[in-house]
Amino acid sequence: MAMVVEDFLNFGEWFPGAVYTFFLLTVALVALGTFFGYLVAAFRHGPTEGFYIVAQTIGGAVPDALGTSPRRVLAIARLAAIEAIRRKVVIVTFVVFGLTLLLGGWFMNAGGAHPDRIYLNFVLWGTQLLALLTGLLMTAFSLPDDIKNKTIYTVVTKPVRATEIVLGRIVGFAAVGSVLLAVMGLLSFLFVWRGLSHSHRVVGETQSIASFEEIDPTTRLNRYGQRVSDSAIKTGETTVDAGHRHMLEIVEDIRDKDSPPLDDRNVVSKSELPDGRIRYERVLVEPYGGHSHTAVVNGSGANAQVSLESAEGYFRARIPVYAASLGFYDSAGEPKDGGINVGKEWAHRGYIDGGTSMNRNSLSKAEFVFEKISPAIFKDPNLLILELDLGVFRTTKGDIEKRVLGSLQFETIPDNAEIDPVFRSERIVFETDEYNVQIIPLRRDLPGEKLRPDGTILETRDIDFFNEIAKNGRVKLTLRCEDQNQYLGVARENIYFRASDGLYWWNFSKGFLGIWAQMLVMISLGVALSTFLSTPVTMIGVMSMLVLGYNSSFISGLISKENIGGGPLESFYRIVTQKNMEIELEQGLARMVLEQADFFLLSVLGSLSNIAPNFSQLHFSEFLLYGYSIDIHRLAAAMSVALAFTIGLTVFGYFCFKTREIAK
Amino acid sequence: MSASEVKPAKEAPRKIVQTNPDYDPNIVVETQNLTKIYRDFWGRQKVRALKALDLEVRKGEIFGLLGPNGSGKSTTIKLLLGLLFPTSGRALVFGNDATEVTKNERIGYLPEESYLYRYLTAEETLDFYGRLFDIPTKVRQERAKELIERVGLTWAKRRQLREYSKGMVRRIGLAQALINDPELVLLDEPTSGLDPMGTREMKDMIIDLKAQGKTVIMCSHLLADVQDVCDRIAILYQGDLKELGRVDSLLKVSEETQVRFTGVPQSAHDEIRAVIQKHGGSVKSLENPKTTLEELFLNIVRESQERPGHRSARAGEDS
Repeated sequence: MAMVVEDFLNFGEWFPGAVYTFFLLTVALVALGTFFGYLVAAFRHGPTEGFYIVAQTIGGAVPDALGTSPRRVLAIARLAAIEAIRRKVVIVTFVVFGLTLLLGGWFMNAGGAHPDRIYLNFVLWGTQLLALLTGLLMTAFSLPDDIKNKTIYTVVTKPVRATEIVLGRIVGFAAVGSVLLAVMGLLSFLFVWRGLSHSHRVVGETQSIASFEEIDPTTRLNRYGQRVSDSAIKTGETTVDAGHRHMLEIVEDIRDKDSPPLDDRNVVSKSELPDGRIRYERVLVEPYGGHSHTAVVNGSGANAQVSLESAEGYFRARIPVYAASLGFYDSAGEPKDGGINVGKEWAHRGYIDGGTSMNRNSLSKAEFVFEKISPAIFKDPNLLILELDLGVFRTTKGDIEKRVLGSLQFETIPDNAEIDPVFRSERIVFETDEYNVQIIPLRRDLPGEKLRPDGTILETRDIDFFNEIAKNGRVKLTLRCEDQNQYLGVARENIYFRASDGLYWWNFSKGFLGIWAQMLVMISLGVALSTFLSTPVTMIGVMSMLVLGYNSSFISGLISKENIGGGPLESFYRIVTQKNMEIELEQGLARMVLEQADFFLLSVLGSLSNIAPNFSQLHFSEFLLYGYSIDIHRLAAAMSVALAFTIGLTVFGYFCFKTREIAK
Repeated sequence: MSASEVKPAKEAPRKIVQTNPDYDPNIVVETQNLTKIYRDFWGRQKVRALKALDLEVRKGEIFGLLGPNGSGKSTTIKLLLGLLFPTSGRALVFGNDATEVTKNERIGYLPEESYLYRYLTAEETLDFYGRLFDIPTKVRQERAKELIERVGLTWAKRRQLREYSKGMVRRIGLAQALINDPELVLLDEPTSGLDPMGTREMKDMIIDLKAQGKTVIMCSHLLADVQDVCDRIAILYQGDLKELGRVDSLLKVSEETQVRFTGVPQSAHDEIRAVIQKHGGSVKSLENPKTTLEELFLNIVRESQERPGHRSARAGEDS
């Protein structure tokens, strides 16, 4: 299953809205806090005295905020850090992490479909779990222990403000956590790199071209019964290392004399054909499980030695350029809201059909509109790389063993359709591979045609992608299913330009920055709650918020969608009375009560999901697992969210600490 | 340990904003109708710990809060420090409300048990508390060094407090209370957990603090300690103020007279009795005074230190 990338705005566009939400939430929480505080104070001291107490507390916050001394904050931060170290929290975390890596190393190998994902998933989840757990333990014990042991007496009787006590602890634990995470990140990187790094040898006594076998031209299958590529002449195989082997092929590659030079390390022979073109024979390594190796040929003739370089392709940070929109058209060519639903539960992809025997010329298609396309965003503008992650739905009316054919076609989106010419490429037909991300490399000059605004062909020639098709920065890409009785499924993020690749180590670090942001929120939450709760209650509180936070998207989805079968109470009622979801309940008091109670419950749930930090917003593991670069805008937003929560929780912790009696 | 050895450290003068127009600089602490009622979670009254306490502590005096366990001594100190909030009434320190943080600039506090971070060393402890006062690094280091010397812990300054004995923790607790060179020192059971020598040193120290012009408020249920050092005392019982005044006048027994003399033979005792009876008085006792156990113990220890390996000359006199 592919990664689903949700829409994300530019940070500049996102930020004002986020600040506004933060402001609204702050106002709402301050109002709620003041009201609640007044209720408690009025209950204890009477309505008038209660009013003065609340006013005094709020009024006192200003001098406290202004008088907060960075030196005192750092002193308390330093104490928190020393506490974490001397109480051996840090050492225990490292030991647990080290043991996890050691034990994990025993059971993992680079075999399987996507070993990189297994390794990355392991270290990312391990690190995240440990970092959050360490943060929770450090914070949940610190302040409650100080209060319980009364060491806090010697601190609050110094000119220390509640802000400094709360903030100092957050800063101190965050500093310890940062060092922990940095070291864990480095170890994780080394672990993944070392675990995935491997090479193979060619099977055969001599490790040379002589070990390769001729292909039977009648079947074109290798010794394992797998189909070889069309241009293959010979096949071979590698030894099994790291739980897998690669098939090798010697392919024939004929090129124009003036075509760009090849990587000549894998060339076995080179000869000139009578028509002047060059014929190369090259050793290719078939990719396996998301990686491949470069074959290096030494010597010439049948004794040429073949060796394989280390694995490559695992450490990617693809920078995709997604379409701005995707539209579906049915077999009659009419625009539709979504694609065909083929009955799968996960209806993320919409499907298009390839026609039927009754309707051979289906006009069903998916149209992607790309915007802001320019050579500047591509690392190599002469080579356009499209990546496809399509779904395929086969019917038994078609050939279910054959790979389904699809086609892609680029077309201009003219600024003025009445006068501007249209450039359109030929259909680029490809075989789909629904189990992998397909890479389709295209030259900048695509065979195609120039059309008049009325649709008539002006000329047929190679057209330039950037200067002609996407001259105004916008381009339409049409996907069609070219096989009758079969369906292709696609979502907006399933076809994209792989514009360039980011630095892997930086992407890895960004992934860890996401974990850091989660840890910061967690620490702030732990410190804020521990100002008025005991250790066990703080732990339960933080963990509840964590569960709520990781599922906040799900909860907000529950509230925003109209739920078939009603809310929790109505659903329960239906289960008990054995009514299915579609049956309408009888009008009456019972229905009204159920609906109103559900509305109230969902509203409460909605408010809670807003208060709980949305941890999935700070979670970037999927980007690393699937090899995508983490957008810097997304990262900036995550950091802002973490900071906003830290500020909010510091203020919350301040008021809780300030209004409580330290002694008993 | 001697308080007079500590030099006043150089640092910027404290800036305390005085907001009370009725503030009298000679009154360091004032409580007005101060009442504290402890309640449970639901707000129900559990204990009335302090009832309408009215007190004034003047600048430069040693004030003792005396009373049995549960009489409200510690509650009063905690209210003065802002660790507890009064149920009604007011507690003013340097003319400001006791919950005001800035007053802590001028206060030193030694809690009942020295609640310190046990994973810190003595040096780190004083450095940490010094940082909380925003004391510049150099001054902080000098003062920490002086205080460690003064409480006699130089030899153990790099050991974590978890390795300290109770008496040592108490000493470093006192050092942290003095790190800011405070004007007002609050001591909660200052001699608790100390051996007789430590107790004596602590009492000497308290008297030294007074000599430096500082105000000291201490609470204790060890009457002898209070009697030895306090100028004035308040006696609390079940949250009520029962007695308040100067120690010497409170303890003075006006209807009796005590004469102490030396060099008079035993035979003169009868004559003395006769003179007293002649003037209508009655003799309650005429005998050799006894020293205190504390004096005896301290003398023995002192002698043992001077002549190690020898049994004290005093010991075994009656055995």
